[in-house]
Amino acid sequence: MIPEYLLRALLASIMVSVLLGMLSPLINTKGLAFLTHALFHALLFGAVLGMIFGLLFENLALVMLTALIVTVTIVLLIAHLEKLGFSPDSAVGIVASFVAGLTVLGFGVLYKVMATRPYFPLGESIVSYLTGDIFLISLNSLTVLVLGGAFLFFVMLFLYRDFLYLSFDPEGMESYGGNVRAYLMVLYVLVGAIGTLIVQTVGLITLQVVAVLPGAIALMVSSDLRKVIGVSLLLTLGIQLSSVVLAYLTDIPPSGLATIMLGVIYGVLLFRR
Amino acid sequence: MRVIKAENLTITYDGKPALEGVNFSLDEGETLLLLGPNGAGKTTLLRTIACFHREYRGKLEVFGKEPCGARELIGYVPQSHSLNERVPLTALEVVAMGGIYRYGFAHFKIPRETLMKAEEVLGFVGLGHVKDRLFRELSGGQKQRVLLARALMSDPRLLLLDEPLSALDPSARAEVAGVLNKIKRERGITMVITTHDINPLLEVGDRVMLINKRLIAFGRPEEVLQDSVIKSVYGPLARVIPVEGKLFCITGDVHIHRHGGGGL
Repeated sequence: MIPEYLLRALLASIMVSVLLGMLSPLINTKGLAFLTHALFHALLFGAVLGMIFGLLFENLALVMLTALIVTVTIVLLIAHLEKLGFSPDSAVGIVASFVAGLTVLGFGVLYKVMATRPYFPLGESIVSYLTGDIFLISLNSLTVLVLGGAFLFFVMLFLYRDFLYLSFDPEGMESYGGNVRAYLMVLYVLVGAIGTLIVQTVGLITLQVVAVLPGAIALMVSSDLRKVIGVSLLLTLGIQLSSVVLAYLTDIPPSGLATIMLGVIYGVLLFRR
Repeated sequence: MRVIKAENLTITYDGKPALEGVNFSLDEGETLLLLGPNGAGKTTLLRTIACFHREYRGKLEVFGKEPCGARELIGYVPQSHSLNERVPLTALEVVAMGGIYRYGFAHFKIPRETLMKAEEVLGFVGLGHVKDRLFRELSGGQKQRVLLARALMSDPRLLLLDEPLSALDPSARAEVAGVLNKIKRERGITMVITTHDINPLLEVGDRVMLINKRLIAFGRPEEVLQDSVIKSVYGPLARVIPVEGKLFCITGDVHIHRHGGGGL
């Protein structure tokens, strides 16, 4: 008999794998690894801010909502700086530094608020945003993850070819009538929204790795688009499910296991090349 | 019909002129070869006509409109090395890209008609047999021809080509020049082509423009490719040598020749 919490964790892993397995090749081909890291840092700031609001207003649903709003705002800010003429790396660097400072300040405020409210659900601990707590996922959170994930998956699926063309030749796309800014904005928002949706299950640290490495590995082992997506999806799924099962058996945090396994696979492939 | 008209055109970056005092016009069906040393402003002029760069003074009309208003009539062919070849796209998918953005926002599946047209234009540029091969696995000349095919997908009336012969070996240059000739002959599309090496393109060129931060000369090839004109851009060591009825202009590491002879 599989314990219910394990079943939830496995279901959450499948959804996480489908989203990140599809997204990861795009992050690699578009060269968004730096932006992805910055966005996921923004998520932490959003989560800290959301936790403050959640504790103050006694509504912890505000955590995810605030994280989403903050992340999308930061995406728009980066895109605006790029429009003003900053290079993508400079735009990300400027915003990421600013967000890092705000996060540190936010933690200071959060600790003060937490001191006034000693009892709150363990599942909403801010630490879970860093390391992930897939075994603590509630039925409500799982429902949000599955429904929200399905929506984001289909948006990504229907625009996948456009994102590939955007990565291949943005000027060409623009010259043939494609709205490059709109596609770029949708892609950035998708990265932020997917991160927001799954950050509490896999944790920020692992998210940064699982969003980048499966796509990088898939692009190393295949050059056919369908195979690249297939390898990325299967790899993410395999790593996520096996890390949950191993964590269940060994009591080691699953996000740590997933990160190490992906790192080893990537390292071995690099070495063999 | 007048396709491009520029009067006192000065193109600037952050207010600083990159190319000044350009006056020229190009009629339908004509091909302009845009020549000049590195940094002369060739790509800048091409990108301004294509509406990628919008900072300019003076008058610039494309089909009687501001460049951005004529975008649907323009096909732009970038330098193939400016593309992100990590993206695993086949030759056919790259060509189809040129035909899907007039309709809709999401293009999960390429429409059957677009695919059929993509196959047809790939055949036109002589690459029907490589349609399923990855773009990055093609030779330099094949890549350039795929990009030409992509530009033809939107049925343009003006083709802008940025250094289509750069980094190609002589046989690939001849292949690409052959396709450009075919486009001119069979489709009558007006073209503006930037190049360092005018040699393989003289057959297709009706006009030649020589620039170096400003307009040096514009006219028919035999008018522009004069010893004194070439020397004014490429320095006193540039010279013209007649070989077997053709004139070769030696300009340091860039060689320019024109067919026919006389006068130099």
